[in-house]
Amino acid sequence: MTDHEWSELAAPYALGALAPDERERFEAHLADCAACRAEVRALRDVAVLLADAAPAATPPPGLRDRVLREARQARPIRRARGPLVPWLAAAACIVIALGLGYGYVRERAASRQTSAALAAARDSIAARDSLVATLLSPDIGTAALAATGQAPAARLYWSPSRRRVVMAVFRLPPAPAGRTYQLWAIAQGKPVSLGVFNTAADGRVTAAMAVPPGLTFELSAVTEEPAGGSPQPTQQPFLVGKVTPAD
Amino acid sequence: MPQQQAGPRAPDRALVARLAVGDERALGELYDRHGTMAYSLALAIVRERADAEEVVADAFGQVWRNAASYDPGRGSVAGWLATITRSRALDLVRARGRRVRAMERAAQADNDGLAPPDRRIERGEARRLVARSLGELPEPQRRVIELAYFGGLSQTEIAAELHEPLGTVKTRIRAGLEKLRGSLAPLLSGGES
Repeated sequence: MTDHEWSELAAPYALGALAPDERERFEAHLADCAACRAEVRALRDVAVLLADAAPAATPPPGLRDRVLREARQARPIRRARGPLVPWLAAAACIVIALGLGYGYVRERAASRQTSAALAAARDSIAARDSLVATLLSPDIGTAALAATGQAPAARLYWSPSRRRVVMAVFRLPPAPAGRTYQLWAIAQGKPVSLGVFNTAADGRVTAAMAVPPGLTFELSAVTEEPAGGSPQPTQQPFLVGKVTPAD
Repeated sequence: MPQQQAGPRAPDRALVARLAVGDERALGELYDRHGTMAYSLALAIVRERADAEEVVADAFGQVWRNAASYDPGRGSVAGWLATITRSRALDLVRARGRRVRAMERAAQADNDGLAPPDRRIERGEARRLVARSLGELPEPQRRVIELAYFGGLSQTEIAAELHEPLGTVKTRIRAGLEKLRGSLAPLLSGGES
């Protein structure tokens, strides 16, 4: 695709009008194209305003109480207690390359576990929201990293200012049923879980995960774990990457 | 939505900071400010009052649970809420297999008037500008944008629905959104305090 053809996808992307496969391809392109990211940011701001074009309707009187009642059943996800460690490099963005660290020899069932659980769908969409926000943040740095051979590879973006990482994974077959992939930050030799993920049938996924406040890390790694993830890795990582500062 | 009202009250962001530490009153205040927007948007997509209520409760629940991760750099609180509300509403429509219906309704809204000014209750300057700008688009452009935003349809689905070539739909989406970008410029440049 030419640059021009890519840029033509910015408008439908901002409107949410790309088919899932087109959207994934375009998001992968966004990771490498500052011009398209700027265009998407601008057009997305326009699209958000469309909410104002909905015909005005008056909510029923009981809805306020319902909102508050349902909220009471789920506490907010709290910030860590105690003073937050200030991010000295808040505006800087760090890019990590996850290269092939260990032999990846497992054979896997190619079938993707498709869970229709509503909660899972919601999490996924919430994750997508923040993924796009991170990718489109003005301070994001990117690096193009050549993948070699057919081994699985990943590209990881860490935005300290947002305390988020966005990871794009390629050529990694979906984890078998009952298993999941888990991303670890290695801080002073100790792994800290950043979250679990799985790839789609085409071996790709782009996922956003929160970085615990105050955590800085030098290495990142991916392992395969039982569904739900593990407190500590139970196997050698098959993807390992070293943190390198963005240009 | 995206625009916050001017005034002496605390900014939305201050409310979100209170949400993040579990202040329920802040949630009530956020609802008082933006509940009507969220409900209107949800209803425009799901078209059933009971469903719209569920969507709004879900959306505010998500805002409540995730307030700590709200990032002002990505836009206004109202815009965040609108984005979440739209996602929840489209989820619900899809989950119930009512997508086609929502789509038909959205298309039909051309005649019903998705945005007939005279049927609207009081709305702010920003809302009027958005409604007017959308209304001033050439009808084919407005229709594809409404099908995408309120109907949740992809370009390909819109082309199939309208029996138009995909290339035509793509062109209309781009042209329409570009025009809106121009006419809504007053709301886009530093509109957020």
